[in-house]
Amino acid sequence: MFVLNFLMRRLAQGALIIFLVSLLIFTLLRVVPGDPVRLMAGGMAPEALIEKIATDMGLRDPIVVQFGRYIGGVVRGDLGQSFVRPANGAATGGATFNDTTRGERAKVLSLILEALPMTLQLAAVTLVIALVFSGIVGIAGGLAIGRWPDKLAFYISSIFISLPNFWLGIVLALLFSVKLGWLPAIGYRGFAYTILPAIVLAVELSPVLIRTLVSSVSAQMTEPYVAVGHVRGLGRGRIIANHALRNASVPLLNLLGIQFSSLLGGVIIVEYIFDYPGLGLLTINAVLQRDFPLIQGIAIVTSAIFVLINIIVDLVATTMDPRLEY
Amino acid sequence: MSVTTAAGGPIAHKPAQRSIARRIFDKAASTPGFRVGLSIFVVLALATALYPELSSIDPTKMDVKARLLPPLFLGNNWSWAHPLGTDQIGRDMLVRSLVGLRYSFLIGVASVIVMLAIGCALGTIAGYFGGRTDAVIMRLTDAQLSIPMIILAISVLGVSRPTIPAIIVVLGVSNWPVYARIMRSIVMTERQREYVRAAKIGGSTDARIILTLLLPLLLPPVLFTSVLDVARMMIFESTLGFLGLGVQPPTPTFGNIIADGRKYLLNAWWIATMPGLFLGLTLTSINLIGASLERARNTVHGGGEG
Repeated sequence: MFVLNFLMRRLAQGALIIFLVSLLIFTLLRVVPGDPVRLMAGGMAPEALIEKIATDMGLRDPIVVQFGRYIGGVVRGDLGQSFVRPANGAATGGATFNDTTRGERAKVLSLILEALPMTLQLAAVTLVIALVFSGIVGIAGGLAIGRWPDKLAFYISSIFISLPNFWLGIVLALLFSVKLGWLPAIGYRGFAYTILPAIVLAVELSPVLIRTLVSSVSAQMTEPYVAVGHVRGLGRGRIIANHALRNASVPLLNLLGIQFSSLLGGVIIVEYIFDYPGLGLLTINAVLQRDFPLIQGIAIVTSAIFVLINIIVDLVATTMDPRLEY
Repeated sequence: MSVTTAAGGPIAHKPAQRSIARRIFDKAASTPGFRVGLSIFVVLALATALYPELSSIDPTKMDVKARLLPPLFLGNNWSWAHPLGTDQIGRDMLVRSLVGLRYSFLIGVASVIVMLAIGCALGTIAGYFGGRTDAVIMRLTDAQLSIPMIILAISVLGVSRPTIPAIIVVLGVSNWPVYARIMRSIVMTERQREYVRAAKIGGSTDARIILTLLLPLLLPPVLFTSVLDVARMMIFESTLGFLGLGVQPPTPTFGNIIADGRKYLLNAWWIATMPGLFLGLTLTSINLIGASLERARNTVHGGGEG
């Protein structure tokens, strides 16, 4: 019952957030200079034609009217059509304005649904690598505060956080794929293409995880229940594995929810470098082509994912630590 | 000095002697991480400030005869004139990297100032007045935290023309909520203290209490934390540059040098990798300083972030 109440409240909040995001991005895109119709029709199109296309598409209406029309569609599950991408084949941007071969424009929702599973796969592999690596370094550091594992964790996280992800991507691609030939890098033709991008993202994600683990594990080890455990005759390994780690993982979980939005920035860059056909590459192309409906759709879908992830994180956190309240 | 700072307990009896900010700084300065970071940073800062002028090499000057020279001791036609080699049209990589570092650092610091100004002002107001003001500001903060700002940032910069002030504002505006939260939580505990209540009874206005009593006391520890954010913003700036949404060429920045050098990766790997190494070194030094300061702050403050 409490869970249901909690879910209802959080989902309502989430809907409000998604509405705000779409309002914000919609207004921003129309206020900043840059005319998408010019890009769609091509540089040689006469001014009158551009005005005609813009009026036909409703781009000259007041922003409030446009937004009302758009959000009406979103509620019914229709994210609109892309400005520049046809339903099949390459982008039409830059083609001549009276090109009759230009086909139906692609649906934003289907473009996103095509790209999303690829990004989720990348995110899953990244999480596994990051959690295993920072688990080892962070727990070792937290159990030995002031000694070398702690210092090692400090320096590893300081260095990892200083590596720009796009640079690391280029260097790793040069090293593992060009020089050594171990892993493929560009495009996507099978699972192996996920590994290098995931390593780059994991390097970006792990410093925060390591720091949180070090501080939360070391804080748990000073709690009274650890000392009592020794008195009760429990081994050190058992106290750590069964009790301390369980409590220490709650802050880590909350962190993962918050880190999602910064990880998203990394995903955009990494997919762009490795030409990985996911949501990030779609975002970059949409921005560079001024594809307003696609940018809006991506913003809405990502904020929805963000809301869902944070709800799930809170639910899991309460099952791990029943003292937390919804 | 290290004896007094190493023991956190004894000095707590006579806190009037040194301010909290001073104690945090001294504690951080005694760690090896801070010293290593600071010495790297000073060397880089001096090089950045002096070398482009002293060597009088123009970072945008082309020299086709000296194109694609490798860095020192690598390959067979390296020269002392270009320690990091040259790019595809013969521009000196070292000078370009150093000039890029200038822009990157300036943008990093400026955007942190913007986010500190917004975040600390809102956080202080929320924490000091409480009640409805607090609720409204904190809901605003939550909403901003749950919006994927990166998409907003690149959309705005991608659709309009990226200029340096626009980049600074976008970076600053997208990252202030963290500071609002930190400031709010410290101000909330601090406003219950005797000296604030005494000032109120004494007839001080709220603005006077905030500006003359609270901010001078509470801001320095927050400033220490913001060192880490300078590094984050520098990465962010170079990321934007790499996507072509940062400072525009011919002005060299790390982002656009690396994006440019990526095309020549196979026959001249140093164009894309050397500036990144430089950037990584700079960021490591800043991060070491920042992380030491933050650790010191947490031990002195007893986790005031909460």
